[in-house]
Formats: sequence, structure tokens, C-alpha cells
Amino acid sequence: MRITQFTLRRSLLLLLAAVFITPWQASAIEKYSDPATVNKRIEQIRQSADGRIRVNKLAVTPGGTDMLMIEIGKSGAGVPAVLVAANLSGTVPAATEAALSLASRIAADASLSSALTWYIVPMGNPDAYSRWFSKPLYLDPGNATPFNDDKDDKTDEDGYNDLDGNGIITQMRVKTPDGTLIPVAGEPRLMRKADPVKGETGIYKLYSEGIDDDGDGQYNEDPPGGTNVNVNFPHLFRSFDTRSGLYPGSAPESGALLKFAFAHPEIAMVFSFGSTNFLLSPPQGGRKGEADMDKIKIPEEIGGMMGLDVSRTYTMAEIMEAVQPMLPPGMTIDEGQVASFLGLGAIVNPMQEDLAFYNEISSDYKDYLKKKGVTGERFDPAQPEDGSFELWGYYHLGVPVFSMDIWGLPKPKEEKKDASGITLESLEKMSTDDFLALGEDKVSAFLKERNAPEQYNAKMVIGMVKSGQVTPAQMAGMMKQMPAPKADEKKGDPKELASLAFSDKWLEGKGFTAWKTYKHPTLGEVEIGGFTPFVDNTPPAAMIDSLLDLQLPYVFELVKRLPALQFSETKLTEKGGGVYQLEAWVTNEGYLPFPTAMGKRNKIPTPAVITLTGDGIEILSGKKRTPLTEMGGKKSARYIWLVRAPKKGAITLQLESKQAGTDSKQINIGG
Amino acid sequence: MKSKRSVITVVLMALAITLSQAQEIKVPLRFDSYYSYEKMVEALKALNTAYPELTKLDQVGKSEEGRIIWALTINNPKTGEPLTKPGVYADGNIHGNEIQAGEVCLYLADRLLTNYGKLKDITGVVDRNVFYIIPVVNVDGRAHFFDDANTPNSNRGLRIPVDDDRDGLFDEDGPEDLDGDGNITTMRIRDTLGRLKTDPEDKRLMVPVKPGEKGEWTRLGQEGIDNDGDGRINEDPEGYVDGNRNWGYNWNPPYAQDGSGNYPFEGTGIKAIAEWMLARPNIIMVFAFHNSGGMYLRGPSFKAEGEMPQGDVSVFNYLGKNIEKIVPGYKYLISWKDLYPTYGDFTDFADNLIGAYSLTGELYQVETETFDGTPKRKEEENARFEESGETDRQRLLFNDRVTQGELYKEWKPYKHPAYGEIELGGWVKMSSRLPPPFMLQDLVHRNASAVIFAAQNTPDVKMDVFEVKKMEKDLWRIRVRLVNKGAMPSVTYMTVKHKLYPMDMLSVSGPDAKVAGGGKINDIYLNLIDYKEYKPEMQFCQVPGQGKVEYQFLVNGKGNIDIKFESRKAGTITQSVPLQAKPATSGKASDGDKL
Repeated sequence: MRITQFTLRRSLLLLLAAVFITPWQASAIEKYSDPATVNKRIEQIRQSADGRIRVNKLAVTPGGTDMLMIEIGKSGAGVPAVLVAANLSGTVPAATEAALSLASRIAADASLSSALTWYIVPMGNPDAYSRWFSKPLYLDPGNATPFNDDKDDKTDEDGYNDLDGNGIITQMRVKTPDGTLIPVAGEPRLMRKADPVKGETGIYKLYSEGIDDDGDGQYNEDPPGGTNVNVNFPHLFRSFDTRSGLYPGSAPESGALLKFAFAHPEIAMVFSFGSTNFLLSPPQGGRKGEADMDKIKIPEEIGGMMGLDVSRTYTMAEIMEAVQPMLPPGMTIDEGQVASFLGLGAIVNPMQEDLAFYNEISSDYKDYLKKKGVTGERFDPAQPEDGSFELWGYYHLGVPVFSMDIWGLPKPKEEKKDASGITLESLEKMSTDDFLALGEDKVSAFLKERNAPEQYNAKMVIGMVKSGQVTPAQMAGMMKQMPAPKADEKKGDPKELASLAFSDKWLEGKGFTAWKTYKHPTLGEVEIGGFTPFVDNTPPAAMIDSLLDLQLPYVFELVKRLPALQFSETKLTEKGGGVYQLEAWVTNEGYLPFPTAMGKRNKIPTPAVITLTGDGIEILSGKKRTPLTEMGGKKSARYIWLVRAPKKGAITLQLESKQAGTDSKQINIGG
Repeated sequence: MKSKRSVITVVLMALAITLSQAQEIKVPLRFDSYYSYEKMVEALKALNTAYPELTKLDQVGKSEEGRIIWALTINNPKTGEPLTKPGVYADGNIHGNEIQAGEVCLYLADRLLTNYGKLKDITGVVDRNVFYIIPVVNVDGRAHFFDDANTPNSNRGLRIPVDDDRDGLFDEDGPEDLDGDGNITTMRIRDTLGRLKTDPEDKRLMVPVKPGEKGEWTRLGQEGIDNDGDGRINEDPEGYVDGNRNWGYNWNPPYAQDGSGNYPFEGTGIKAIAEWMLARPNIIMVFAFHNSGGMYLRGPSFKAEGEMPQGDVSVFNYLGKNIEKIVPGYKYLISWKDLYPTYGDFTDFADNLIGAYSLTGELYQVETETFDGTPKRKEEENARFEESGETDRQRLLFNDRVTQGELYKEWKPYKHPAYGEIELGGWVKMSSRLPPPFMLQDLVHRNASAVIFAAQNTPDVKMDVFEVKKMEKDLWRIRVRLVNKGAMPSVTYMTVKHKLYPMDMLSVSGPDAKVAGGGKINDIYLNLIDYKEYKPEMQFCQVPGQGKVEYQFLVNGKGNIDIKFESRKAGTITQSVPLQAKPATSGKASDGDKL
């Protein structure tokens, strides 16, 4: 059959249509969207899948912007949910883009929300975020609530001033006799602390760019704002910091999230897009001040009352045992009440069992990045702050919390300036002969670079390898365990160097303003210059798409790990006389436990319930409603009832949970 | 006939109106019985109606069940607006069952208003301060305590549903008033293997069985049934969220602090009160009334906070030692140390985030209920919960001979759906933590007097410009003294330590004058001045309790200058001073031109 021009053209059109009107459009992001535009884009996302998507106004910021939440999915009984909050500090523009992109991807693919509800907040701190779009540009995580930082007679009266009129707030350096900084040799843009031990004398003192607006001798000590929403959460809240807010939830933005989270017990997982990255760097422990539940000391004041010895320590179990007989019959207390009465305080370090899955997931994530071709190194992400959203999610909600920072400042590739020419990677691959061929000088230089202890000199190490005591690979392994050698501080701060490298390569040098003299009204002759705000945490907009294509799919990998309770098996055994034994095995098909170890401890996640019903069925042993408070990942538990079924019928076992799935089984009985 | 019937109707209606007016609450209020929530609201309105110039009635907010929390403000507008004076705040009944706290607050208001203009001390304390009184914080709790059957301890918390027994149901198993007597008492069952037997001294009590003896009773627990079929009775009543653990200073979640709620200020009423107080930054003295035990507690509430600054401890000690005498038998104690640690409580919030001195008053000592008139301390006996001791015997004698059986319900048989033949009996709800009405008057008067005493010690600052000396041409030396008669400083030491808000400000200004230098006088004899480097015209200060602070200014100019003292808690004082020679008055004589 001859293909007419008409059909050809039509097929071409259809082909083009297929290309351009694909469900998910790769929008080339040329610039970040300001808060008003973000809210417009949220509305567009809602319209793109009308009916399936709702937009909720969680709060209005002190600056008057709506803080919106995108809700995608069924949101029904038994459907678990994921809460995603982005850019709560307002200082991570890429996080907001990530949340919008995530919402778009979920909107475009209905299967992603068929069994899961998504609650996505792209702007956790719109007021602070708007500073990225304002001139002069500076970074401040406070929302628009006025706050008297310097506790004088005025509020927000001394902010930054763009003295050189270049639209960004940088720094001023002043030559002063009590200066502590000197320029970095070889990189005059940077400065470092002078080391008096080495005979160095400081030259400069550093200020942020501005004048002393209120004449109190301090510079820019009371800029506008406000509360940093991301430190306004109840776990490890710091009461009197300038950006913490008066009390947890005092900011409308965080207050709304607290209220929302507890009104939605179906939230089974939380994501934070911001400055931390639990995938690369699992939550850390090591905080002091936590009571050891195996070595509890009874306070003197209470010991006598309880009849316990204050000079020794008890485990929680021992205390519970001692306390129980003191109570009136029928009254029980739980560990929480005892901990509370004794004033033991909060848990401040992640639970060991939870760290196990965080570490495993972190390995998996690093493999994922490798597979995707990510080879370069980047600087470590920030650690979560006291009072932050991600810590609160883990410790107070008791669900798995993951955080992503989308982009990290890349570490420049190390040019082999090292005299030895040996790196850990090359050492690992070396054979014994290769190593011995290096020679004493090179080995000596290498040991020095690795900060090896004095006694491990080149001669001794070569001897050990020669005698077969240790292989080069083993040596590399041991060295990996040791602390990494300190960067040579004389060269300048590594992160600052990396920022300069990134700025020179990708930003046409705009990431740094060269030092230029300026006549300052009170400080005299100063030089204005320094890094452009956000250069070390925000990539150019053109990079966003590829970053999100890399990072966001892993979010969908993580939700696959959610706990999922199912009846794996049931068994009915006839005992005679219409009496039956019913056994049911419940399995958590998911990787993650229900709940986390922290959730077990804080008892916040709602228990699942197994309900047994049946017409004419009498339960002889066991309960009609059996709560199920915990089930490890990939673990099972057996539940058993004894029932009487005088006639033929059916038993229905119903498994209901807010966060961990639902299931039901019908078992025929009798007859 | 029509006309006769209409006359009768009119007469009947008039009678009805008179009767209802007879039930209406009159001022001065009576304190020989307890006020239900509704009656409490009527009483506040009656006070407001009787004293319209001195009072203002506010709706602070609403509770979970929609009841209004009311606040009465007492202020004499002729001596200034409320925010210009030290604020004395008193509330009560944050625990729903601790009802006499409401009466104490109500009595305080009644005492101040009905004696204003009659007693000099009352007039003085009202004129100088503003009183903020919230008699009932937990309005739902008080209402349910009155309306429902209760034990003396129940209906303590807020009406926020919590799944206490972790079975997926909320508040599904509370107590039941099986015999409909308005009290939740105790159930016991005859049991020859039981650990208890009837007390030979008083058959209403039970004592432990000695080894070898035959048992008589087993105590089954609180009156009620197993609503949710889980084998436990009354294990999931309303809440449990304790309003006094839900405040935003050092809040901890429920596993570390029982009953704290899901997040700070989850309680709608609690949040409303916090915001109401924060809008009144002049509040410097806070009383929170509770029951029971006979104590006045100061913070901190938990050990890790560390001791308060000594300056504040001194103020508390002064108040506490005196209050112990105003309310004999009550002890002034430290919360975490002498009681037990708590997180997220009201006094820590008030001390740290309002910058006030707060005391918790635990009202009433049950030990005073004795037949022989000597209060016995319960700690002397090591009685466990289910065993009765000498205190209980005394209390029962008190019940019999002094209250004619009002406090204790005799054991009566009852047929329980699960247990069968049991007996119900025990202390009634209006007992144990509450003074019987005849003892209420003494309790409310003495504790209100404690509040009044504290109000007499709020900061009372006067300004004395004691020197205006010409140095040369237009340069003048001005010396100002701020004197505080009250025991409380103009800013608490805790506030200064935390930098909660700017300190008090002493400023000098004038249309034709400029301050060349200024600072605090550390030693007036040796002329040691701590000169401020920048902006000497604005000094930040604190006027110590029963103390003074002195400042020196060097002013270049002519004409009049204004010296202004501004304090959140101690008000504002402005003096206009002409720059003309004024000899040194009180204080030290000037010594030449030394600057």
C-alpha cells in the first residue's frame, strides 16, 4: 500500500506529539523559582493530575507567604504515607527544586501513589528562601519575625550593607594591630590564622560587609529576622539562640508541621531535603547526657521513697520489678513512666539497631552512585543541628528519616604534588615486588604524608613487607582505618580552596569578589571582598536537572523498603467438639522494621491490630482484638486462638495498621 | 376567669424571678462551698459587674471541648495602664481535680476588690500593680470533675485522646460509677486467699494479713468494668495529657516525661494562656495553685538545669520563708530536689521565657484531718497503697465526728458483671485532696494573702537625680540614682543570664544636649565609673531588689534634658531636668572636677 503524504505527515505529527507531550516533561531549569513562582508551580502540578492531587495551605509565614503542601495519593484507611519537607532553613534553593521535581514525577506516574500517599512541602521557610532572590544577596535562615539579636533598644536595626554596590554581601578585612589573619601563600584571595608558634604575626581582622548602623560598636549584629524554622523543632531544642525561636513550634511554619505530623499517624517515612545527607552520612551518636538504661542511678531524693539503694546502679528491668509490688492491684506502669519519674531524660543518640539499617542503606546508596557513574569526591554533608526537623522526625515520630542535600561542593582532584606518588588506591593494588621496588625515599615520603607514627619508619615497613608479615593491600586497609592526614593548613582551608576552584571553573570566577580597597566611615581603609553567599551549597541552575535525575530516583528505592505486614500463613486444627485452634503467621515483608527501634522506645507509631470476627464464633482463648506493636524487617510472628464453632461458618482475620499495611484472610470453619 | 388567671401568672412569674435572683451570685462572694465551672464563670462576671472600673474580663481562649478560659484583670486606671506596672499573675486548676485552686484565685480577686479603698494595704497593692487572675486553667477537667463520678485524683488531664494501653483504641476504658453514687470508689471481693483482712480497729479499713492468718479480702481496683475486653479495668481513661507538662521550656516527649502530649502547646487552652502571658511582658510574679501536700515550690524543675542565679534564689528564699508563716504547716521547697523532676512544666516556662518569679502552691494538707487535732505526717508510716494505717483511722474518726460521714462511703454489696458479688466503698471524690467546705475559708484566705504579700514586693523603683553639676562652659555632670523598695529586682537575674530580652534602659536626651560620656557608678566615694564605650546616652541596667544603682552622665548642652528609666516589669519613669546648678543632695558630696 502506498503511504500517502497525508499519512506520513500524520505519523510524523503523532511521533512529535509523543515526544513532546510525554507524561513527565523534562523542564530545562534555567533559574530557581522565587517563593511566589514556587506556589504557582505547585498549583500547576495540582492541575496536571486534577483530582488526584490536593494542595493544602499549612501556614502563612510572618512575611505573608503561603506555605503549601502537595498531597498526592489515595489518603485512605490503611494507606501509609511519606512526608517530604524541603528547605526548612531557607538557605538551600536546590532542595526546593528537588521537592517540586519529586512532586512532578509522582504526579506523572500514578503507580507511585497508588499504595502510598505523599505529603510534600517544597518550601519549609519561604521568608528566608526569598533572600536568595533579593539584593543585596546574603544568607540568613531566619523567617520574617522581627527579633532583637543584640538586645538593645531597637529591633533589626543593624543589618548588612552593600558598600561596594555589587549586589552581594561579602566581607571586609581591616589591617589592625590585633589582627589574627594573614593571606595564604600562593592564593592571595584566601586568608588563614597566623601561627605565633611559627613566628607569624596576624595582619587582618574580618567583618561582614556593612556599617555600624546603630553606632554600638558592632557591625551587622542585628539583621532582619527571625526564626530558623529548621532549628525550631522539639528534639534538642536550644532555648536562647538568636535564630532558634522562643519555644519549639513557635514559628508558624514548624508549628504547622508538628500539628500535621501528629494528625497523620499514617506517615511511615520522612524525607528532609536540605543541608544534611543521611544516605552519605548516617545519623551520628556520641552525644553526652543520655541515661544508660542498663546502669540507672536512682536519685538520692527518690531512693528512700522507693526502697532502692542509691549507691548502686540498676537496669530498667530491675527497677520495674522492684516497683510493681508497690502499686495497687490492677495498676500498671510502663518504662516511660518510670523513666519520667526518675528524670532520666531523652534519648539523644541513634539506637544501635537503627544504625544497622542506616549503614546498610548508606552502602547501597554509594553503590548506586557508583553505578550511575559518579566518580568525583565531594565534601561531607553537614551534620544535623540541634532542634532540627530531621532529628525530630527520627527521635519523636519514631519513623525512618532520610535526608538529602542534592549537591555537595566537589573536592578538586588531587594533583600528584605528593613527593611519594603513592596513594591508598595504588597501594591497595600493588604487589609485594612493586612495593619493594619503590625504594626507601618514596616509602618514607608516603609514610610522612599519611602521618604514620614515628616508629613506623621506611626501613621497618619495607622489612615487614619483605618478610611477608604484611602485604601492601593489608597495609592500605590498616591505613584506611587511621584518621586521614590533616590537610596542610598553610595551603588554606580545603573547602575554601574547593569553592574557589568551583567558582573559577563553573561560575566564571563570580563565586569570589576580589579584595578591593574602600574607605569605611568608621574602620578607615578596608578591603571588601570574599565569597559570594551560597557558592558552597547551591549549584548553578543549569546543573539542577542532571542532579535531580541522579538523586530523586533513589527516593523511590527507599520507599520500597517500607514495612509491609501481611498474613503469610494460616492454619486451622480441629480439636474435637467444635473446638478449633487457629494459628496465623504475620510477616513483615518489608526491609525496614515496624517500627524503628526508636519508635519502639518512644511508643509513638500506632500499633497494628489483628481482629478476629465470625458469625457464631466463640473465642475461648486469645483476644478479639490483638494489638501488634512491633515486627522486625523480614521477620514473622505467630498468633494463636482457640475458638468454638458449633456450625459451619467462616472466620475473618483482619490486619489493620496505619503505617505498615493491611491484609485480611478468610478461613472456613466447621461443618 | 381570664383576668384572675393572668394575675396568677404574673405573680408566679415574679416569684420565679425572685427565686432565681436568690440563687444568683452576689459580691462579696461566699467561700463555704465549691464553685462548679459554670458557677465560677458567673462569679467572675459578678465581680466584673460590681467593679467595672477596676476590672476587665477576658476570654483567653478555648479548651479542647470548647469551654472558655476566663481571665480577670484588676487594675486601677487612675494610676496607669496595666502594661506600665509590675504584673502579678495567679492561676489554678491546671489539673482538673485540683479544684480548690480556683477558689483561692477567686478569693484573691474578691479580697482585693471588696477591700479596695477600705484597707490601706490592699489599696496600695492594687494601685501599684496589675493583677492577672485565671482561676480555672483546665476548664474541661473542672467541669468533668464536678459533673461526672470521680475519685479525688481523676479528671486531672486535658481532653486530648491518647491510646494509653496501646491497643489502637483511644480513651475506651475509663471508670464507671456502677452504683450511681457520684463517686468512683474501690471494689473489693471476699477472698480467703486474699492478702488483706478487715482492720480490727475500724471495719471500714483493711490491713495486711500476717503469715499463717486466713485472708479475707482482695482489692480489685477502681470502680469500673473492662470496656474493651482486654482483661484490664479502667486502663485507658481520658488523655493522658498533663497540662502541666505541655509547656515549651525544656519539653520532653511522653516516653521521657509521662503525659507531656505530642509536642509543646498541643493543648489549645495551654497555648492560649502562654500567648496571653507573652503579650503581658510586665508579669514578674507568678503563682500556680494545685493540690495537695502543703508546699510552695520553686524551680528549677529538673536537676540538669543547674541552680538558679543566687540573686534569684535570694528573692525566692525571702518570699518562701515568709509564706511558710502566712500559711503555717506549708513548706517552701525546690521542685526537682524535694519533689521529683519534671519537664515542660509551667513554672519553668514562666521563670525562663516570661522572666518572672514563679511559685507552685500545693494546697491543703490531709494530715490536718485528724480527730485528735494534731496533724500527722504520712511519711512516718510506711503504709503501702492498699494497706491502711493510723492516718486513715484518724481520718475516719474525723469523717465520723467532724464531718458527720461526708468524706467516706461505707462498703456496700454490688453485683459486678464480671466479678460477681463484690463490695464498693472508699473515700469520696470531694475528699482527701480538698478541704471540707468548713476548712475552705481558712485555706483561701491564707493562700491569697501569700499572693498579696508577694505583690507587695514587686519592684518599686523611684528615680532621684541627685546631682546636676556644672563642670565648665556647657559641660554638666549629672548623677542619677534608681532605688528599688521591692524585694524583686527590676529584671530577674535569670533574664540577664539568658539574655531573654533587653535589660532596663536608662537614657538621657535633650533638644540641645549631647551626652559625651556615661556609665555606672561602681564606687561613688572613689569616683569609679564604668564608662560605656558606645552610645553613652543609652545605659542598660538592672535595679536590684531592696537596693539601688547609680549612673553618671557627662552632658554637653543647654536647656532641659529628659532622663528616662524604662523597664518591662517596673514601669517607666521620666524626669525633666534643667541644666542648671543643683547641689548634690543625698549620697556623697561632690569632690571637685574629677570626672
